[in-house]
Amino acid sequence: MQTLTYWQALNRALDAEMAADDSVFILGEDVGLYGGTYRVTEGLYAKYGERRVLDTPISENSFTGLGVGAAMAGMRPVVEIMTVNFALLALDAIIDMAAKIPFMSGGQFAMPLTIRMPGGTAHQLGAQHSQRLEHTLMNVAGLRIVTPATPQDAYWQLRQAIRSDDCVIVLEHELLNFDQGPVDETIEAPPPHRAMVRREGSDLTVISYSRMANQALAAAGQLAAEGIEAEVIDLRGLRPIDWDTCAASVEKTGLLLIAEEDSRFAGAGAEIAATLAERCFASLRAAPMRVAALDLPNPYNKRLEQDIIPQPADIAAAARALINENS
Amino acid sequence: MNKQPVTMPVLSDTMKTGRIARWLKQPGEPVKAGEPIAEVESDKALMDVEAFADGYLVGPLAPTDTDIPVKSTIAWIADQPPQAASSPSAPSDTPASQAETPPAVEPEPAATQSDTTAAPPPASSSPPVTPPSTPSESDQTTRPAEASETSAVVSAAIATRAHADGGATPFARGLAAELGIDLAQLKPGPDGRIRASQVLAAAIGPQMPHLELGPIHRIERPGAVKAAMAENMQRTVHTPTFHVTIAVDLKPLQEAAHANKQSLTLLLTRACALSVHEHPDFNACWTPGGLARRERIDVAVAVDTPDGLITPVLRNALRSIDELHEDWRELKGKLEKRRLKPEDYSGATFYLSNLGTFPIVEQFDAIVPLGAAAILAVSATGSDGLTRMTLSCDHRVVAGADAARFLTTLKEHLGAVEALTQ
Repeated sequence: MQTLTYWQALNRALDAEMAADDSVFILGEDVGLYGGTYRVTEGLYAKYGERRVLDTPISENSFTGLGVGAAMAGMRPVVEIMTVNFALLALDAIIDMAAKIPFMSGGQFAMPLTIRMPGGTAHQLGAQHSQRLEHTLMNVAGLRIVTPATPQDAYWQLRQAIRSDDCVIVLEHELLNFDQGPVDETIEAPPPHRAMVRREGSDLTVISYSRMANQALAAAGQLAAEGIEAEVIDLRGLRPIDWDTCAASVEKTGLLLIAEEDSRFAGAGAEIAATLAERCFASLRAAPMRVAALDLPNPYNKRLEQDIIPQPADIAAAARALINENS
Repeated sequence: MNKQPVTMPVLSDTMKTGRIARWLKQPGEPVKAGEPIAEVESDKALMDVEAFADGYLVGPLAPTDTDIPVKSTIAWIADQPPQAASSPSAPSDTPASQAETPPAVEPEPAATQSDTTAAPPPASSSPPVTPPSTPSESDQTTRPAEASETSAVVSAAIATRAHADGGATPFARGLAAELGIDLAQLKPGPDGRIRASQVLAAAIGPQMPHLELGPIHRIERPGAVKAAMAENMQRTVHTPTFHVTIAVDLKPLQEAAHANKQSLTLLLTRACALSVHEHPDFNACWTPGGLARRERIDVAVAVDTPDGLITPVLRNALRSIDELHEDWRELKGKLEKRRLKPEDYSGATFYLSNLGTFPIVEQFDAIVPLGAAAILAVSATGSDGLTRMTLSCDHRVVAGADAARFLTTLKEHLGAVEALTQ
């Protein structure tokens, strides 16, 4: 099996869908001639031409709105928003148009629109360019959100997003772009919102998504050295969430730790904790615990930036604290 | 300075915690190998903790009169006298100063947990978030792993957790509902919360009486001997027991004992041993794997002490009455000094309980301790001039007819005064 970086996997997915379906086209800033800020659209402009890979001005609300219109007209646009931070400018097109038109038109219009946006905290990009906006998008009825953590999932989930007749946000992560991993382009993909048990364990359940799922796996490795077997679940998506997989694990272990890169207040972890507390109440041996970013704008200083985001050692320490409550 | 931990010794198989009755040495005092440094109260007796090497006793010393898990560090012995200025957790020592603190019986689970009642800790207790005074420091990419236990992120994760406010976990509630346990009657765990372990303990352990309906009460912790008695008796609740009583004219034996200045209890002990010898089933005991048959007859005699009931054991009770007297004197000496060791009061194969010193008691029966097939309860001589003896038996080991045969033999031995008093 081939090994690809995360961005190469996204690139392959775009290429495959563009080759398979003429109605698929890409638009965004620097996606054409430049090949994408994170190289995700590299080579596609040369291969498919300027009619299918459209460079746009710096005008997020406009070109996202253009994508909405094209989707209403039967195309399968893939909008690239350079980073999640700039999606704030496009929220009207995303929330008031893409998410609502199928509903408000009584289903007369489908919304086969894909919006890619790498998010998360990278290295010292400052508070305005280091955000995690999943909490904002998760709350919007009418959207689907996938959060691939591996190159394989990036490949699968982007292809599935493009084929979906609903608006799908592909929430990538800037620090994952150069992660390498095996990508099999031939096997059948699991459903896009199926959560995956990345590591089995019996002592506690750690639920996470995107890059933090990989950090949770690293933490589980540290814990295993101490004899604590953590089950690590990668949600792979935030809307909808595969509660059955999560609940089965929590019912098995009785302890739930949620690791998220976003701030804990009203974040994804809050939703996960609340729903699983409702669903698994009688199985829980302790209240769910969330290890999340501090409730702060991201500091620029490297050390401070590290300190506000959970690291694998933090996830492991939180897991120990949760286990110790029960010993 | 090199130092080695002194730990709470394991004084018996059943000992899980011990209490330090008092420290015989204070921190800084020199100690010699083998010299007692503390007195520890085990489940039955007081025993010395001895220094394992020459050196100096170094604190922190574990508190007295507190249950301390066995093998926990209770003090340290150092090769040099501690300097006044340096504490045992001075920087020159191992960094894990927390591990050196002798734990109480239910230690705080982890350092991170003790922080939890506090809001996010002050900056000073966070990992060193150094302002970038030099470029090299601010360039440091990774936070040291060891700092993560108290990192701001972890503190935030545990800061909102409820503690010591009562309540039960959902799982504990579910279990309690299923097992019919009243949560209000349960003692919470170390963090003030009822968890599954407390519910399960209540389900299989002693039930809490409904005290709230009665007068105001206070809970008094039993002493070690009384606590051990309670636990040992609790362990017998699953023993199927029956009782057989006989009436014996003990006057000839009582007169002989008086004339020979012999203890009636020891004469009864020897008569029991001789009877057990002829009915060896009474020297067996029930185990999950089958009957345990013992090769020697060891008779324990229940003794009423100010600390509670204790059962010194006369080993090989078939021996002559003089030898038994000699052993008994030694046991009583230890008993008075509270120096009875587990091997002095454990492992009997047959038990004797004599309430003959209470003339008002004309008949009673006793509980068969775990590890024996029977116990003989001897009361005072009744108003009819006869002494009632009740044999309580484990019905898994012996049956009623066996008990009748045993008591017939016993009565014969008690009547053969000459032979018994030799």
